[in-house]
Amino acid sequence: MGDTVYADETRAIQARDMDFHWDDVPLHYIPGRMVATHVYNCMHLLLPEGEKAMSKALADALPLIEDPRLREEVVGFVGQEATHADNHGGMLERLISLGLDPSPVLDRLDRLISIIMSDAGEERIRHQLLCERLALFSALEHYTAVWGKFFLESEGLGRSGMHPMVLDLLRWHGAEEVEHRSVVFDAFMHVDGGYARRARTGVLGSLALALTGFLTLGYLVAKDPSGPRGVRRWTRAAGEFVRATKDRIIPNTTCFLTEIPVYLRRDFHPSELGGTDLAVRYLAHAPIKRTAA
Amino acid sequence: MPAALDPGLDALLAGYRGYLRLFAGSRLAPALSRPRPVRRTGFETELVVDRREEIADGVVALTLARPDGAALPEWTPGAHVDVVLPSGAQRQYSLCGDTADPARWRIAVRRVDGSGGSHEVHADVHAGTRLTVRGPRNAFPMATETGYLFVAGGIGITPLLPMVARADALGADWRLVQLGRDTASTPFTGELARHDERVVLRTDAGHGGPPTAAEVLELGTAGRPVPPAVYLCGPPALADAVRTELAATAPATRFHSERFSAPPVRGGRPFRAELARTGRTVEVAADESLLTALRRELPGIAYSCRQGFCGTCRVGVLDGGVDHRDTLLTPAERDEEMLVCLSRARDASLVLDL
Repeated sequence: MGDTVYADETRAIQARDMDFHWDDVPLHYIPGRMVATHVYNCMHLLLPEGEKAMSKALADALPLIEDPRLREEVVGFVGQEATHADNHGGMLERLISLGLDPSPVLDRLDRLISIIMSDAGEERIRHQLLCERLALFSALEHYTAVWGKFFLESEGLGRSGMHPMVLDLLRWHGAEEVEHRSVVFDAFMHVDGGYARRARTGVLGSLALALTGFLTLGYLVAKDPSGPRGVRRWTRAAGEFVRATKDRIIPNTTCFLTEIPVYLRRDFHPSELGGTDLAVRYLAHAPIKRTAA
Repeated sequence: MPAALDPGLDALLAGYRGYLRLFAGSRLAPALSRPRPVRRTGFETELVVDRREEIADGVVALTLARPDGAALPEWTPGAHVDVVLPSGAQRQYSLCGDTADPARWRIAVRRVDGSGGSHEVHADVHAGTRLTVRGPRNAFPMATETGYLFVAGGIGITPLLPMVARADALGADWRLVQLGRDTASTPFTGELARHDERVVLRTDAGHGGPPTAAEVLELGTAGRPVPPAVYLCGPPALADAVRTELAATAPATRFHSERFSAPPVRGGRPFRAELARTGRTVEVAADESLLTALRRELPGIAYSCRQGFCGTCRVGVLDGGVDHRDTLLTPAERDEEMLVCLSRARDASLVLDL
């Protein structure tokens, strides 16, 4: 058991009440970029349920956390993730009203999440399952932090013509992911901390996230009302995907491989990712609801 | 999603179930994942008042250190600490000392009428007093910029003082507008004097009342463009006015102000909350939230936004009518639950599932 004394400050993690409206967002909210739009639609489809599950797992871990600093970080995290789920959920409803049918994806996601969140009667197994879940979510949070930083710093994304409110959704979400990037990792390290489990779930989580993302993207591209049909749709989509990556409109998906060794380093800690200044600067302009004083 | 993929997906999900059976459910599971938990301490610690100094009319500065003089956690400008006063009351104060001093923290407290905490600091805290301190925590982080305008309203100078030092060290182009009632009650004017014309002191006494937001910006820019970032700490009305003025006249400027915690309680009546699991009762005053009162009994109770939208502080209600003041819970949820950060009892008491 490693006992150390805190040598730095904590960042106050609080949920923010956002002022988003989706009524004028079109189906292709990055003009001329059908595939890139759908890459972001994957987030709107997968995040509401995914973040709720993550929130729940961390809330379940709370009774095991006595350290008052980690406790307040976890509580703040649970609040932020709940508002992420709500706001992406609002965007998803807009997409549904524009004719997108998410149910084939959501049904399968629901089955996956119910396995991730599965529970047992026996206390020993319940604890092992909770540790697995925390380790898995810690790995997934590494990707959200990497992407969050990308949303904040990518000039390509900023210039893409993306609907400003969707861009704000991504950047606000990204800024809070950067803010709370260490919380799930620290919670896992507090409750379990075993390296074998971290390494295993790091690889498993990366591959599962990549597979889930690409299957969802494939579904969305297949169902898109625009463009050619048949093989030409897929060759064109592949070209668009490569171009959107090169123009830095979407994060580079090779990260599913390149980030694994980063996350698996024994001395890895999410705080080394950086991006705090970007997050602080962005949040000063974010569409946060102002409660009248 | 084409149904042709489903057998493959089913196989993967079955594989994952098998994985969990092996790594969580089996007898081998503990040997396959040896825990190595990392436990950290030192967030809450006992400090001693090293020095107490009256630095302006009605303002005392306390220098805090470990009893053994050992190093304290590092902090950055904008950080604050929770201080538990001898009576048990808890208050938050910004750190206003030198970020490079590893052994000492400094806070400054203005005596405010109607604030028991500040009176207690002034009356009962002396050199040698031991205080429980939690932190440091930063809710007002400072980003690197090429230029800054700092606006301090009265005691709001405290988090800005280390920011000014950092801006100066960065070689940034900065100015500070320090607002106060009169010169004698405005803290740190002596320390700031070495910055000459970068610091503008403006008192209500000297100008026949508080300034408008436009005047504040005028004092802070002296005819030049507004810098890329404005950091303000002061009363909410000042923050709102400056924010609105900037949005109209310099929309590219990033405006930062300390996020004031919970909104004040309006139209509250005192009531009693019974905690069903422990059998204890908590008295809630007219001007405090149920959450504040519950934290006295249950310091670890979950909450986050304190503004009724995140839902973290949701609690089951076993008996009693609730005056729901949030917009989050659905009508069905309202029959059984409440958000304790905002909502209150409709009558004299409530029984909570806590």
